[in-house]
Amino acid sequence: MFSKPILKQTLKANYKLWLIFTGILCVMSVMTISVFDPKMMSTMMEMLKDTPMAEMAGDKLDSMTTLLGMLSQNFYGMLAVILPMIFIIIAANSLIAAQVDRGSMAYLLSTPTKRGAVVRTQAAFLISSVFCMFLVVTVVGLSCVQLVHKGLWGEKFTPDAVAVSRILDLDEAEIGDNLSLILKNEEALQAGADARQIDPDVYLVYLNQKMTIKAYDAAAAALGKDAEEITKNPALLLQSPEALAAAAKVMGVPAEAYGAQLTAAIEQQGAMAAQSMELQNKMAAGISAAAEVLDVEASDLVNSMGKIKASKEALTAAATASGLPEENILGMINSQLAADELAYDDGIVFSVRDYLMLNLGAFLLMFAISGISFMFSCIFNLSKNSLALGAGLPIAFFVFQIMAQISDSLEGFKYLSLITLFDAGAVVSGGSFGVQFAVLGAVGVVLYAIGMNAFCKKDLPL
Amino acid sequence: MSVLQVENLTKDYGSGRGVFDVTFNVERGEVFGFLGPNGAGKTTTIRHIMGFSKPQEGVTYVEGMNSWLEPAKIQRDLGYLPGEIALPEALTGTQFIKMMADLRGLQNMTHTGELIAKFELEPAGGLKRMSLGMKRKLAIVTAFMHDPQVLVLDEPTSGLDPLMQDMFIEFIKEEKARGKTILLSSHIFSEVDATCDRIAIIKEGRLISTFVADDLRHSSSKTFKLEFNSKDEFERFRSEIEETQKLEVVSVKRHRNQAKVQVEDADVNGLFAIISGYDLKFFSEIKFTLEDYFMKFYDRTGSEGGANYAAN
Ligand SMILES: Nc1ncnc2c1ncn2[C@@H]1O[C@H](COP(=O)(O)OP(=O)(O)OP(=O)(O)O)[C@@H](O)[C@H]1O
Ligand SMILES: [Mg+2]
Repeated sequence: MFSKPILKQTLKANYKLWLIFTGILCVMSVMTISVFDPKMMSTMMEMLKDTPMAEMAGDKLDSMTTLLGMLSQNFYGMLAVILPMIFIIIAANSLIAAQVDRGSMAYLLSTPTKRGAVVRTQAAFLISSVFCMFLVVTVVGLSCVQLVHKGLWGEKFTPDAVAVSRILDLDEAEIGDNLSLILKNEEALQAGADARQIDPDVYLVYLNQKMTIKAYDAAAAALGKDAEEITKNPALLLQSPEALAAAAKVMGVPAEAYGAQLTAAIEQQGAMAAQSMELQNKMAAGISAAAEVLDVEASDLVNSMGKIKASKEALTAAATASGLPEENILGMINSQLAADELAYDDGIVFSVRDYLMLNLGAFLLMFAISGISFMFSCIFNLSKNSLALGAGLPIAFFVFQIMAQISDSLEGFKYLSLITLFDAGAVVSGGSFGVQFAVLGAVGVVLYAIGMNAFCKKDLPL
Repeated sequence: MSVLQVENLTKDYGSGRGVFDVTFNVERGEVFGFLGPNGAGKTTTIRHIMGFSKPQEGVTYVEGMNSWLEPAKIQRDLGYLPGEIALPEALTGTQFIKMMADLRGLQNMTHTGELIAKFELEPAGGLKRMSLGMKRKLAIVTAFMHDPQVLVLDEPTSGLDPLMQDMFIEFIKEEKARGKTILLSSHIFSEVDATCDRIAIIKEGRLISTFVADDLRHSSSKTFKLEFNSKDEFERFRSEIEETQKLEVVSVKRHRNQAKVQVEDADVNGLFAIISGYDLKFFSEIKFTLEDYFMKFYDRTGSEGGANYAAN
């Protein structure tokens, strides 16, 4: 079936190449994972939101705020495709075509080794080398996520949930479901804020925002609707007693009280929206003034509003310049900082399953690509012909893929590229990918079969 | 049954290249020489015998097994030395020998060790840096390591120094004495002359002659060179021969007053009767070599066959 001596020789001839490419891939993966900072990413995305760049990137920006989203766009959309591809192109050619072209295949075939055994051994090597490459990258990636971002295995809890759980003597999951408990306990509130390294005011705002989100989720579930719909129009909640009850439970208040609270909030929001433009302008003036006092760029200050809070002078300057009372400015700053905390919560959500699926998809894509290179290596007797198609086609796929991404008018090119079948974005955002993965696997199997068959039947000029 | 059989083998590579309707057999215990100019089709024929290429027409057998249908089986008792030495570059010589032994399922390495010593092979270094002759020796060792009964050797001594070439010839003779069947493609006449029982000559893809070497060596005709003392004598000799037709003149060198004549052993007295009437400077026999015979086949423009070969 396979030939051990040939496998040994193949390993000797190719292990360095494999180590180099696997090494680079691991380093890039580790770098991408460790530089990820959910707070920073979300502020960055916030800034980019209305720029032409955002339009170009389309809905990719949203997914960049989570680690997996960013990995799927950055690493698995680019490096994890091109690097293994180069390895495959070089290795596939050297496994068969180059040995026929040079003539060294004659030695293997002048022993009682069947051609089938030769080509099966080489195919097995290529497939398992690509598999091992992604296996190593996966293990290194997971370890890096664990080391840098912590708490990968088991349920992931925010630092405040951990701290509060000790004080309230409840486990973290219960805290997560009953955040209102924190509000009712002075000590817990302080501990949670400390754990998050924010002041209790901001923590309070954060908790309220978080609870609101959870309440809307619960209401949405009760109504059988999307959470997004409720967020856009919270008034929907008031129409259904079950939804209101579900939401109130999350908030830890009786349903009637929550109903009244919500009605007031909706009214207030309407009033705010009417003067939001004016408010924003005032705020901008305030930030500029504060920036001057603190001697930093206004644009930098937007990303770190905490500084205004910390400096009495800056706060006064901002209040004077904007014409708003200090409390209002503090409120705005607090809700901004709380939003950062929410983004952080989103960012640290990491699904091991999705990550494994990403790697499985990348491997299946490379399995299919290696099928192309291997098939041409089997069919052609000359390295240059084997490379022309075995390297040319995968690279063309890659170029088509890039072209389809950079401009809407070129989007049609994606139908010419095999790489389209590995949609990393769909994998992490809950899209469908099963059929595409199966197709990639089938394409690989068919191509390898064609190649092995061709090699067994062809004329060898040895 | 013949050990190697090539029957009506045809492979047309286009524009007149390839092999066409080639047929020959190599019997057990025989060393069979396979000669022909560059591009004549020797390697192409061997490629088919080894089962690397599929015949367009015809068939080749090794020990009765069809080369194309059972390529792995025929290799068990076959040693192959490729014409072009292209070894896998990533290995050292020692690793290569080990790999070939593993591929052959060879456990006892004493014979291999003897071969290595015999050919003064130094297998330790990387194959990339090895000299051509050293690579050739390595290929020889791996072709003979499993002591096969049948050997297919494509230009085995190219790249070897003269001492090694002589040693290889001795080695082939020993192997022949041990009953091996050998197909030997070569451009080196002395090698063929020294080892081969039968010789086939291929030219432009067609087999043009197959003959038994001893028949040529023990030819019943001899060739003599005569030089006359004067131009007059030389001319007189030529006109007499032309008239009487008693002797066959193979060639002349007019400016040196030399002539070459070929006589059947039975007619040698007639030769002396004729030349005794002439003033000769010297008289000598030209020893026959296969080389003289083969040269004509290498001549691209010359006529095929015929006795008018030119020596000197
Ligand atoms: N795979 C091939 N495709 C096309 N033509 C080929 C192929 N292999 C050999 N030929 C041609 O067939 C002819 C015979 O080549 P072959 O290698 O058999 O010659 P040879 O007798 O071994 O010559 P040499 O003494 O130089 O080794 C040559 O003209 C060669 O160019
Ligand atoms: Mg040749």
